[in-house]
Amino acid sequence: MLILVAKRLTAVVLILLALTAVLFALEQTSTSDPIKTMLGPGASQALVAQKRAELGLDDPIAAQYARYVTDLVHGDLGTSYRTRRAVSADIATFLPATLELALFGLVTAVLLAVAFAVATTLRWPGAGAFRLLLMVGASAPAFLLAIGGIVVFYRELGWLPATGRTDFVDAPTGPTGLLTVDALVHGRPAVLGDALQHLLLPGLAIAVGPAVSIGRVLRSSLVTTLRTDYTRTARAKGLREVEVMRKHVLRNSIGPALSMTGLQVGLMFAGVLVVELIFAWPGLGQYTAQSIPVDDFPAIAGVMLLLGVAYVLINTVVDLLQAAADPRIEA
Amino acid sequence: MAVAEAYVPTAAPPARRDRAVRAARGRLDWLAVGLLVLVTLVALAAPLLAPHGPLDPVGTPTAAPGTEGFLLGSDSVGRDILSRVLYGLRSSWLAALAVVTFGLLFGGLVGLVAGARGGWVDTLLMRLTDGFLALPAPVVAIAVVAALGPGLLNTLLAVSLVWWPFYARILRGEIRTLAARPHVEAARLAGTGGVRIALKHLLPGAIPAAVVTASLDIGTLVLTLASLSFLGLGQSAPAPELGADAARNLSYLLQNWWIPVMPGIAVALLSLAANVAGDGVRNLMSGR
Repeated sequence: MLILVAKRLTAVVLILLALTAVLFALEQTSTSDPIKTMLGPGASQALVAQKRAELGLDDPIAAQYARYVTDLVHGDLGTSYRTRRAVSADIATFLPATLELALFGLVTAVLLAVAFAVATTLRWPGAGAFRLLLMVGASAPAFLLAIGGIVVFYRELGWLPATGRTDFVDAPTGPTGLLTVDALVHGRPAVLGDALQHLLLPGLAIAVGPAVSIGRVLRSSLVTTLRTDYTRTARAKGLREVEVMRKHVLRNSIGPALSMTGLQVGLMFAGVLVVELIFAWPGLGQYTAQSIPVDDFPAIAGVMLLLGVAYVLINTVVDLLQAAADPRIEA
Repeated sequence: MAVAEAYVPTAAPPARRDRAVRAARGRLDWLAVGLLVLVTLVALAAPLLAPHGPLDPVGTPTAAPGTEGFLLGSDSVGRDILSRVLYGLRSSWLAALAVVTFGLLFGGLVGLVAGARGGWVDTLLMRLTDGFLALPAPVVAIAVVAALGPGLLNTLLAVSLVWWPFYARILRGEIRTLAARPHVEAARLAGTGGVRIALKHLLPGAIPAAVVTASLDIGTLVLTLASLSFLGLGQSAPAPELGADAARNLSYLLQNWWIPVMPGIAVALLSLAANVAGDGVRNLMSGR
């Protein structure tokens, strides 16, 4: 197990180095010129040359890359051309809203996936309709689910809010930045309920697609496990169906679904970026979308690096969890 | 199913009915594959099918669907939404096909070389592939387009860059399995060269798996490309693009919902068609 952990951690370091190399290479080829953006188009030749030297843009590429990685390790993601603040500070401002939405979406996706898989495997009544609904939903882009949700549940029915994280102007802003958690910490159940209402539409919009992918994998491993001899034995010795499912079937079917969940996180990130734009969600998606039209590459690269690191770490943890749960998996 | 069900012996269905059911299913699968052809034809014939030019203001702005001769309504400057959707569908679909084709060819080549050569070539190529697979594809694609500048070609380039590793993995796995089969061993003993073995004895056996993966992938690609376009990474302003048309018209959502919703529905139908067709291809190939 220790060897496995060491191997995986080495792989993580190598992959992250590759990611930084990709981002660095992209920055080199980027069409946006940092000097021009900073000094304006009318800057004199001398001033441009001086600024280039100051920023070390005339150094050899290898030296620039080494400096880039050193800065990253120290948490320095560069300066945004647009906000003129440190990208790391910008990200710290926008991260909590995105984190809350992404976590809510992930939990929703897993719950939907389990319901989908169990209902269709055990042929619960209504499972067919539920399945059809999810399958059609998974073919729709997240942005269609989001705007469709707004038209139906906000404009027509008036059940759910359409923009932002909360209607409370005095909603707590600390200590975690996750509104639902902060509301609990400050003992404000009304704010918690309101925050959950605001999370529901964007969360569902990003959850449906991944839910179907995870649910399909879970379903096929459930079907396989249900056919095993030990499941038959468990039934034959008179265990109640609920116990059979909980102790023998679900537990042994969870592995592949867990892997799929890790992989779906990448797609979910893209969903979050898109959905934030629609719901005026004050997170990294807004930040990215505002950075794209003005070619603010440091800002975009900073967000993408963060998402890339999160993705790699999540999938490594998933791998290790699986190895811990199933001794048959080895390095 | 909390209560154990009584065992009811069921008579085996008569063979003829069984065969009929199977034939009907086979026909359905062919229909699904036909859908793939149909969508491609619609995409290619978009300029003939569209009643108006996608960029021309031809009538009253914000006309509701079905009024004033606009089947899907008109947008904020009086352009025909149906025409824009047809042109957008064309570029989405052809873009998805282009990326899949590139993935199949390039990823397939990498997988074939890695699987057929084995040894250090295999290790090197597969480590590279794993490196790509370890990164979240949409995120890398966004970074690439952001660096190169928005545009259809750059988007295609970016998505192709992150899409081939899937195919390399699958092809390589198939080739490794095939390489252990007796017919390949026989060919090797007969003194057949490496390239000839790879092309004549390994590649044909690996193609079905690759085609099935590719056809199941088109729907995902349609969605990925649409979300990049939605984020403003596709073609620039007046060009008809499904994701961008939805994003640019978000402000009309509450008054004239059809302007942003119609392009979204088109994306959904496109990806649904691709998924149905993909399932059909899989069923036919696996000889269900």
